[in-house]
Amino acid sequence: MREVFVAGAGMTRIGRRSEPLPELMADAAHAALAEAGLEAPDAIVVATMNPEEFLGDGNFASHVATQIGFADVPALRVETATSSGAAAFYAGFAAVAAGLRQAVLIVGGEKMTHLTTPKVSELIGRSIDPYERAYGATMPALAGLVTRSLMSKTGLGQREIAQVAVKNHANAARNPLAHFQQAVTVEEVLESRMVADPLRLLHCCPISDGAAAVVVTAAPSRVRVAGIGQGTDTLAVRHRRQLTAFTATRMAAREAYAMAGFGPERVDLAEVHDAFAPFELISLEDLGLVPPGKAGRVTLDGDTALDGRLPVNPSGGLKARGHPLAATGLAQIVECVWQLTGRAHGRQVSGARHALAHSIGGLATNNWVTLLETTG
Amino acid sequence: MIAEQIAASRCPRCDMLVAPPSTYCPHHPVLMQPVTLPGVGEVVSFTTLHTPPQGFRSPLHLALVELDGGARFVCHGADVRGLRIGAAVAIEAIDDIYYFSHLGAMERARLFWRRTGRAGDRVNAIARSLAKRVWKGRDRAAS
Ligand SMILES: [Zn+2]
Repeated sequence: MREVFVAGAGMTRIGRRSEPLPELMADAAHAALAEAGLEAPDAIVVATMNPEEFLGDGNFASHVATQIGFADVPALRVETATSSGAAAFYAGFAAVAAGLRQAVLIVGGEKMTHLTTPKVSELIGRSIDPYERAYGATMPALAGLVTRSLMSKTGLGQREIAQVAVKNHANAARNPLAHFQQAVTVEEVLESRMVADPLRLLHCCPISDGAAAVVVTAAPSRVRVAGIGQGTDTLAVRHRRQLTAFTATRMAAREAYAMAGFGPERVDLAEVHDAFAPFELISLEDLGLVPPGKAGRVTLDGDTALDGRLPVNPSGGLKARGHPLAATGLAQIVECVWQLTGRAHGRQVSGARHALAHSIGGLATNNWVTLLETTG
Repeated sequence: MIAEQIAASRCPRCDMLVAPPSTYCPHHPVLMQPVTLPGVGEVVSFTTLHTPPQGFRSPLHLALVELDGGARFVCHGADVRGLRIGAAVAIEAIDDIYYFSHLGAMERARLFWRRTGRAGDRVNAIARSLAKRVWKGRDRAAS
């Protein structure tokens, strides 16, 4: 297996965008290519979760490639629900690692804000087991089941969970590309509208548009891909014995650490899939970044804040940077690359050498962990 | 129609039980065997959706229930007031939709004593009457 490097990274501002999705993806792609000093890649991997229903457009790999000006470059599309961006990164990585390609453009994006919230919720919910969906289960509903079980089993309280949202909003306020630019308080989180008991509105990520892209190459650059792991679990939540840990994250983390040859103790910062605030706490323990049962405590103590021992979601996370579905896994990698190369202006973690990106697909049915390290 | 038992299936390799039945075990490429389980279980978790999807009334109560035997099951409920994780509930189908209802101390005691004798149909008779009582006159919004 050849070594693989990230030679360029780019993303759009996340939020409510009026531009067509292929245009947003073109903006992100051109920024990544410009940084890599490439006019054209050898191949393109496109990540979109559901453009067929969000936009009514199919054949999206060709659609995006043509929009960017690469109708002559081989393009394919990858989909693993909400972790599609991370899955596309894996596909591009694998092509370079195998020696099949020298330079691959990986670009992900989603556009949803033109639809009503119930419609978006229904379309995202297509990734849920059909039987559970038939009972009205949505992503927030399943996350509500997970959260109540978590609180009952671990004694995790409302303050610890709310603090995740408070921290991530504070980080996003320093990120000009984030969906939310304002801080929130614990009280505001706890007083926000109930969505799926005990989950409230400010525990949940927003509906966002946006795109992100990276270029991976065989030619060395400042950031190396140290490891990638994929983990899976049953589509149906009722088929799981455990609600308060995600098997798919644990499997992905094991694989990624094994490939990298180092463990969680080496990680300096992490971008974690906090689609719902309690998921950050679950994931910190699943990833081995925090000892079992300690995620709430370290969050309250500020260990995961920007100036803490292990900054988590310096970008603002899904919670506050925003969650344009298939863009998210790549936006996390873009943030890690910027942090590792000293370009996360206004929110720079000093001296970071190893970064972790964690992406959840569906209700943790198809998860990814990506480890990046500096080469300098 | 009121169901007597809950249809489920068991993996001959790992003994995993799933409800409703599946053709293949989620973890093995093995055909599952049909079984039925009594409609009594324990609440694993529950939530209330305040803006449910189209076709459902608000608030929508959902519970994940573990049936006796280990299969887990998603169902609707009339009310979650006083409901706790670990609470005993009866499960009943009304028009092929499953609902849970809270079992009080008296019903739990009755269930316990019946189960030590000849289980099965008696347990379900109790579960059925409870669900009937809770659900009389109610129906689920069109879905
Ligand atoms: Zn099996």
